[in-house]
Amino acid sequence: MTPRLANDEVVDRALAALRDGGVRTAEVFLRDALSGTVETKDGAIESAIARGERGLGVRVLDGARMGFAHSSDLSGVGIEACVDQARRMAKITEPDADLAIASEPLADVDLGIAHPGLEERPLADRGAIALEVERAARESDPRISHFRKTTYSDSSITTVIATTTGVRASYTETSCGATTSPVASQNGERQIGYHGEAARRIADLDPRRIGTRAARRAIEKLGAKPFPTQKLPVILDPWMSMSLLGAISPLFSADNVLKGRSLFAGRIGRRVVNERVTIVDDARRPGGTRSAPFDGEGIATTRRTLVERGTLRGYLTNIKTARKLGGTSNGNARRGSYASPSRIGPSNFYVEAGVDDPKALVDALDRALAITSLLNVHTIDPVSGEFSLGATGTYLEKGTPVQAVQGVTIAGNLTHLLSSITGVGTDLVFGPGGIGSPTLVVAELSVGGT
Amino acid sequence: MTRPHAVSAREAERALRTALSRGGDVAELFWERHETLQLTLDDGRIEDAIGGVDQGAGVRVTAGGRTIYANGNVTDADDVLALAGRAAASVSGGGDLREAVRLTPDELTRPHSVAIDPRSVPAQRKVALLRLADRVARAVDPRVVQVTASYAESVQDVIVANSEGIYRTDTRVRLNLALSVVAKQGDVLESSFEAVRGTRGFEMLGDDIVTETATTAARRAVLNVGARPAPAGRYMVVLSSAAGGTLIHESVGHGLEADLNLKGLSVYSGRIGEKVASELITVVDDGRDPGRRGTAAMDDEGTPTRRTVLIERGVLKTYLSDRTHAEKLGIARSGNARRESFRYLPICRMTNTMIERGGSDPDEIVRSVKDGIFVKKMGGGQVDVVSGNFAFEISECYRIRDGKIAEPLRGATLVGQGPKLMSEIDMVGWDLGYSTGTCGKDGQSAPVADAQPTLRIPSVVVGGKLE
Repeated sequence: MTPRLANDEVVDRALAALRDGGVRTAEVFLRDALSGTVETKDGAIESAIARGERGLGVRVLDGARMGFAHSSDLSGVGIEACVDQARRMAKITEPDADLAIASEPLADVDLGIAHPGLEERPLADRGAIALEVERAARESDPRISHFRKTTYSDSSITTVIATTTGVRASYTETSCGATTSPVASQNGERQIGYHGEAARRIADLDPRRIGTRAARRAIEKLGAKPFPTQKLPVILDPWMSMSLLGAISPLFSADNVLKGRSLFAGRIGRRVVNERVTIVDDARRPGGTRSAPFDGEGIATTRRTLVERGTLRGYLTNIKTARKLGGTSNGNARRGSYASPSRIGPSNFYVEAGVDDPKALVDALDRALAITSLLNVHTIDPVSGEFSLGATGTYLEKGTPVQAVQGVTIAGNLTHLLSSITGVGTDLVFGPGGIGSPTLVVAELSVGGT
Repeated sequence: MTRPHAVSAREAERALRTALSRGGDVAELFWERHETLQLTLDDGRIEDAIGGVDQGAGVRVTAGGRTIYANGNVTDADDVLALAGRAAASVSGGGDLREAVRLTPDELTRPHSVAIDPRSVPAQRKVALLRLADRVARAVDPRVVQVTASYAESVQDVIVANSEGIYRTDTRVRLNLALSVVAKQGDVLESSFEAVRGTRGFEMLGDDIVTETATTAARRAVLNVGARPAPAGRYMVVLSSAAGGTLIHESVGHGLEADLNLKGLSVYSGRIGEKVASELITVVDDGRDPGRRGTAAMDDEGTPTRRTVLIERGVLKTYLSDRTHAEKLGIARSGNARRESFRYLPICRMTNTMIERGGSDPDEIVRSVKDGIFVKKMGGGQVDVVSGNFAFEISECYRIRDGKIAEPLRGATLVGQGPKLMSEIDMVGWDLGYSTGTCGKDGQSAPVADAQPTLRIPSVVVGGKLE
C-alpha cells in the first residue's frame, strides 16, 4: 500500500512543489473528513454509510491572475500534479489587481465547535438516536402511519490552510444531526412532514423534539383544502422564515453588489427593511453550526450587524471585494469543500429576536395564513428579488386554526417582504444550516389559489 | 478511456470477497474517477479557471434487510480493499458465507459518441466561446447590464462490479455551457438563465449554438424586466413544447420512482394498470436517448439503460427502478439507479423523461384559448410526492387573448396536483421540445433532460401578485 501522508505532510509537500516551481504567491487548503449516516425504517436500521473524504485545493496567484486546482490523489505525484494544474489554470484567467492571498497570522480561538469522540461511536449508538426520533414521531400522534426516512449523521472534519505569505492554521470541528419525514394518514389522505436539527455535540441534540416537531408538520396539513386568491397577513414560524432568509443572504454579497446583481447596491446607511428587523452574521457564535475561526481564504472571522433596526450597515466580503470597496475582508469567503473555490456567503446568519410573544403576535391578527411548508424556495431569484412559491398553510382567525390549505402560492418581492415585517417574535431558533430566525409576521402577501 | 490504475476485474474480485468475508447477501464495488474543468467569465473577465480530479470508491454489502456502505477517496487497489474490509466489519451475520466471486467483464454498447474529447481542446477555444457568449448577450439590448458565462466539462469513468459476477465500465463525457444575464430598467432587475448541455464530446459546442443560447438568455432578461407582474388565480394554460419538461419531471416523474412507491409514499403507489392520466398522455423515460444530458450506457449499479414506457395512453405501466426495488415490486429493472458520486448509495431516479407527441397542431392549441396564459419557458420545480402537490417556476410567459399571444408577464409559478393535472390535459401537440436540468433528490444531484409537446391545461392555479 502507498504510505499515506499525514495532513501536515501533504500541505508541506504542496508548499514545496510550489516553491520548486517558482510560485511566489499561493494558498494550500486541505480538508480531511470522516462522517457517518444511519438510516432507519420501521424500528430497524436500514442502511449505514461510512464516508472518508480527504483532498487538496491549491490556488496560485501568478501576477494578478488566479488559478485553482483540486485533487483527492494525495500521493507525492498527485500533489505535484495538482500544483501544476493550478499553475496552468492561472494562465487562463485574466488579471485583477485586487486579488491577494492571506498574509495576516491567525490567533487561536475556541468556539466550542469540536467535541472529540463523536466519530468513534459504534453503529448501534448512532442507530439508537435515529430510532428515538422515529419513535417520538410515532408516539406523538396515532395518525403517523409511516416514514419517508429518518436519519442520524455525524462528522469530524479537519481543515488546514497555509499560504506562501505566512499564514498556517488549522481547526477541527464536529457535527451531528437528525432528520425525519413522517407521513400522517387520515381517511385516505396522506401528508408528509419534515424536520431536522443539527448540533456540535450529541448532548445538544434532542431526538424527541425532532420527532415530535416533524410529526406536527405532517398532522397540521391533514384535511387541507384549496383556498381563494386574496391578500392576507402571513405568519412565518422560525423554520419557515429560515428558508426565505437563505434566499435573502445573496443580496448582502459584495460580489453581487459590485457586479450590479444586488438590490442592496449603493444602499449602505439607508433603510432597506422594516425597522423592527436587525440581521446579524456571526461566524464566532459559540457552538454555531457555521462557526469557524477563519474563512476559506485564511482570514479571521467576525461577528457583524448587517442590518441595524432596518438600516443597511454592511456587506459580506472576501479579500478581493473588500479591497475593491476600500476596506479589509470580513472573513466571509465560504468553502463548501476542498474542491470548490471560496465564494462569498454567510456564516451563522440570523434575524435577532424581537420583543413580541409569538403567540400574542398571531392572536392579534383577525385573519392570517400561517405557512406550514414551501415548495420551490430554490427558484427564488436573488437578483430580481421576485418570488412565487408553492405553499401549504393553516388559515387562522384571531390565532385559532380554521382550515388547513394546500395548492396555493405566495408571491412578492424579497425587499417588499422584509419591509412588511410587522412582528418579530422572541423565539429565535437556529437551523442546521446556521440560519436563525424568530417568528415573523408579514403584514400582507399575495396568496394565489382558486 | 479508463485509466491504467483503475480497479481491474481481479482486484475487484478480491475486494468483493473481502466485503463478504463476514457474511452478507450481495456485495458491490463502485469505482469512479471524475475529471472536471470549469471556466467562468463574469463581469467581462475570465475570473475562474478550476481543474480537478476526484477519485474514489464505495463498497456496498447487503445483509438481511440492512445495507452497509463504506466509501472514500482511493489511490490504488489496496485502498479499495481497505474499504471492503471496513464494510465487512459492520456486517453482523446474516446471509451465508460466499464462494469465491468470479467476474466476467463485458462491454455495453454506448448510446453516445464522443468525436472530440473536450480534454484535448485547448483552453483558448473554450475561452473564445465564453467571450462570444458575453459579446452576443451584451449586444442584444442596452438594458443588459451583467453577463456570467460558464463552461464546464466533466469526464466520469466508472466501474461497477458485484458478487453476481458483473464487471462493467462506462465513461460519461458531459458538457455544460451556461449563461446568466441580468437586465436593468429603472430600479427593476431581472435575471435569466439558459444553457446548452449534453452527454457528448466537444463537437456539440460551436459558435452557432453559443450565439443562439446567449441571444435567448439576453432577450428573456430584457423581456422580463419590462414585463408586467403575472396575476394570481386560476387560468387556462398552454405550455409550449419549447418550455421544456419541468412539468413532467415534477408532476409525474418523481412520483413514479420505485423507492417512493414501495414505501407507499407516492400518489402512484399500488396503481400499476390503473388509469392515472388522460388518454392523450404517454410518458417515457429513456436513458439511451443519444447525446441527452441524462444519457449513459448503464446506470450506477451496472444495469444497462433503456427506454421505459411508464404511462401508456393514461395507464400506469411500471416504475423507475433500481435492482432492489425492481425485485421487491416484481417489476423489470429499468436501469434508473443513479448516484451523484461514489460518496452516495444509488437511488431510483429519472434520466431523460418525456411526454410523447400527440396529434394536435400547436398553433391551433394557442388559437383555441380565449383568455389564458402561454408558457414559453419553465424554470425549476419541486414536488411533494406524498400529496402530489407540485410547483414550478415560469421563466417566460405571455397572456393569451382571443387566441393570440399578447403581452409578456413576469414572476409566475404554476401549482397543482400531479395525477389531477395529468387527467385534465385536453390537448397534446404534435411537436416536441427538450430542456435540461439538474435534479435534486435526497441530497444528491443528477443531470437530467425532459421533453414535452405543446399541452393545454383547462384550469390551473397561477401564482403571481395581486394588484
